[in-house]
Amino acid sequence: MDMNGSHRIPAGRETVWEALNNPEVLKACIPGCESLEKTSDTEMTAAVTSKIGPVKAKFKGAVTLLNINPPEGYTISGEGKGGVAGFAKGSADVKLTEEDGETVLTYEAKAQVGGKLAQLGSRLIDSTARKMAEEFFSKFSEMVGEKTSVASDDAEVGRELDPGLAEEAKRIAMEDAPGEVMHALEDAEHAVEESLHKAEQNIEAAAGRNAFGGPMVWGLVLLGALIVVLAIAS
Amino acid sequence: MAVEGIGARALRKEDKRFITGKGQYTDDMVMPGMGFAAFVRSPHAHAKVTSIDSTAALTMPGVDAVLTGDQLVGDGIGNLICGWMIHSKDGSPMNMGGWRALEPEIVRHVGQAVAVVIADTQAQARDAADAVEVEYEELPAVVDSVAALQPGAPQLHPEAAGNLIFDWEIGDEAAVNDAFEKAAHVTRMEISNNRLVPNPMEPRAALASYNDAEEHHTLYTTSQNPHVARLVLSAFYAVAPEHKLRVIAPDVGGGFGSKIYIYPEEMVCLWASKRVGRPVKWVSDRTEAFLTDAHGRDHKSEAELALDADNKIIGFRVKTVANIGAYMSLFSSAVPTYLYATLLSGQYDIPAIHANVKTVYTNTTPVDAYRGAGRPEATYLVERMMETTAREIGLSPAEFRRKNFVRSFPHQTPVIMCYDAGDYDATLDAAMKAADYDGIAARKAEAASRGKLRGIGMSCYIEACGIAPSAAVGSLGAGVGLWESAEVRVNPVGTVEVLTGSHSHGQGHETTFAQLICERFGLDSDSVAIVHGDTDKVQFGMGTYGSRSGAVGMSAIVKALDKVEAKAKKIAAHLMEASEGDIQIEGGELKVAGTDKKLNFSEVALAAYTAHNLPEGMEPGLKEGAFYDPTNFTFPSGTYICEVEVDPETGTTEIVSFVAADDFGKVINPMIVEGQVHGGLVQGIGQALLENAAYDENGQLLTASYMDYTMPRADDVPSFNLSTHETLCPGNPLGMKGCGEAGAIGSPPAVINAITDAIGNNALTMPAAAEKVWSLYQSGSKEAAE
Repeated sequence: MDMNGSHRIPAGRETVWEALNNPEVLKACIPGCESLEKTSDTEMTAAVTSKIGPVKAKFKGAVTLLNINPPEGYTISGEGKGGVAGFAKGSADVKLTEEDGETVLTYEAKAQVGGKLAQLGSRLIDSTARKMAEEFFSKFSEMVGEKTSVASDDAEVGRELDPGLAEEAKRIAMEDAPGEVMHALEDAEHAVEESLHKAEQNIEAAAGRNAFGGPMVWGLVLLGALIVVLAIAS
Repeated sequence: MAVEGIGARALRKEDKRFITGKGQYTDDMVMPGMGFAAFVRSPHAHAKVTSIDSTAALTMPGVDAVLTGDQLVGDGIGNLICGWMIHSKDGSPMNMGGWRALEPEIVRHVGQAVAVVIADTQAQARDAADAVEVEYEELPAVVDSVAALQPGAPQLHPEAAGNLIFDWEIGDEAAVNDAFEKAAHVTRMEISNNRLVPNPMEPRAALASYNDAEEHHTLYTTSQNPHVARLVLSAFYAVAPEHKLRVIAPDVGGGFGSKIYIYPEEMVCLWASKRVGRPVKWVSDRTEAFLTDAHGRDHKSEAELALDADNKIIGFRVKTVANIGAYMSLFSSAVPTYLYATLLSGQYDIPAIHANVKTVYTNTTPVDAYRGAGRPEATYLVERMMETTAREIGLSPAEFRRKNFVRSFPHQTPVIMCYDAGDYDATLDAAMKAADYDGIAARKAEAASRGKLRGIGMSCYIEACGIAPSAAVGSLGAGVGLWESAEVRVNPVGTVEVLTGSHSHGQGHETTFAQLICERFGLDSDSVAIVHGDTDKVQFGMGTYGSRSGAVGMSAIVKALDKVEAKAKKIAAHLMEASEGDIQIEGGELKVAGTDKKLNFSEVALAAYTAHNLPEGMEPGLKEGAFYDPTNFTFPSGTYICEVEVDPETGTTEIVSFVAADDFGKVINPMIVEGQVHGGLVQGIGQALLENAAYDENGQLLTASYMDYTMPRADDVPSFNLSTHETLCPGNPLGMKGCGEAGAIGSPPAVINAITDAIGNNALTMPAAAEKVWSLYQSGSKEAAE
């Protein structure tokens, strides 16, 4: 899966960079983020739980930062494990550029999912991840700037993950083979519940100094997206 | 009840229990104290297993054991094997890599099992399987068969350098080269055959138990051939000695080939039941089935057809790369070789054919026989070539085929097969008439007036069934003989039980096999029972696949019936003081010809068992067995014509008519044959239009549920127009050829030939998804405009 986009954040680049380094801001903006703590200058732990409908799950991840060039950008690669649900990993190049006193954040991300996520949810990952990225940036813009002004390649994102569409996909699948789909869905739900058992285990995420920003967020957003996929499948 | 003999449209006896939910499948079996197995599977396509930590899993409720590959290997359980030896053209034996039922070191496809949890309930087993912590070190993966052969591709097995299992050839290469030098026209194509997932309605399942006092194992399993399963489990895997292992395949809900093989899971249940000291049950869920049931097809080929100036075919050259997946399944080597390249002559008189087949390991689910097994791949290739060549040389597809039909029999092809009988003009004529082939121009014009693109395509298939003469397949590398056995037991009251080594998993054997007995003795079908699927009840047999149960299994029954009839006549003649030659069997009675003397069949049976008055020296009883080894393959053939309408705006294809004219030899039950053809056609149309097992470049299976793998539905197919033409097969006593796979073999090229005719672009690959068809039509019309 490839995902890219850009978001205009109504604040200066230094402000954005700082906010991206503030665990409290990030925690507030990442959908379903329960905790996000720096454990050192280069590491932090995070717990991302998502609850959609009846399903709650927690993913753990590990993130590495490369090519750090504050406040202009970096490359980040991350991996999230959802136990039996499978895994997700990926990397993203993120750039911050200044335009008219505002900041344009551009990202290019590649991701790979494996196991049940690929088998059951690959078709939905793309739109789900975009949706979650959109949620993040909206909130981030709100917190950092005075007002929200999103200019995005993903302007259509909001409707890409149309819940009605997901319902439709589910309905069609159910018509095909209700028993089997239910089984598969139970599996997915089961997997998610399994992850919940591990709720006490904190997400381990390694991040570079001064770099808890966009790409790190992207990694976590991806994890969140996976949870959403499972939730949809349920 | 009227006697329903050969040719009767007898209703299926087995349907009463299936329709009323009384079928007894493996998952219906319950044993006291049984535990449940859940497998821990790799999420990676290729990875080293660095650690397996079952500490947490073992503390979970109900968990009995967590078993891994190290324990399996430690217990001396053998590797899974491929039972058909193929030699490369340089004479070297195939390069088979090791396949362990639980992998302790390197996983090679997503879904491969590395551990199994045994627990009190299925839910507990699955919970605990989730808690087994497996650490992997990922390795690069390769999915595409051609890419796997490239230098630098990730290597799967140390035994197979360059991932090449064998580089095999058939036919006379020099003769083919000569033909191409002389050719007036050459047609060249690249043809791929998409990977399919079998999808039987009932997923695989196993219930194994071990009696330590008797040192005896019992395995209930979803098998198409329980005796072969027992043989392989004991002889190669050393799970249990053959006489201490009972394999029962009760009602089985479809197989399509995927239940021929021995898989890791069933074997692990058998091993684990002894190790944990309790019966162990496993039932595959649907995603497990997608990941682990042997897939079908996945060929990539280059083909060249040479014609002389008179449009006669003079040479055919084929190069194929067959994807075997991560391991060699039980018959995987035979499918792209002797079940494929031997059918490349099609219905045509081709003097020189050469085929080269390379089989390749990739990080995908193993590939083996799936309904048709090699013959759909051959037919698709031949019939796409025939239609394309006809278009290139400007002959009608029917005329070009007719020009090259085999018309004298027996006909020896350059690729082993010797066709014994057939009438290809007859089925082509019947199909063209039923399809109103000559009226297509008017229908195209009418469709165009509605803005639709109408197209017509045909396929003249031939296949080889009734596998197979044991000595012949033995000389080609088979590890077993492919005869069949039968025992006919007439009970003292005159009812009849037939024990067959064939196995019914949807074919209706309980009905058709009984029709033979009804025909022979004039009994009603309620007096006849067919017994199959239990190694303790039935003498050794080879099971059901390759459309063999009629031509081979029923021939064995006929041989046993001959013996029973002869003995019954002797007894009747003795009792009625008549000459044996004067005894006739009619309507359930044995009569002395030309007199009114007669005995009921049941009276003769009783006399055989009371043994009060038997001919001198005759043994009591009325029970006979027979083994039948076929003398040749059988060659069902036919013509299928598909007519489609494509919507140029959306690329959506509608099949507006489908005609199948088949020659199956003798038909025992036309209703069941029609059902077999319907099912086969739907599977073939599914392959052509909808089905595709898709992997991403990392080896993740993206189509592992019905959300993403599209099975054909009733509204994807038209009402079929079927007919049969009987050319009796001279090789077996009933003249049968087999009908189980024909529909799946003959239909894909007919569909694709029709769509390419409609859109005027021949570059279409299966499945013909709307987006693909639309794009090709757009680019085709652009070319035409230029």
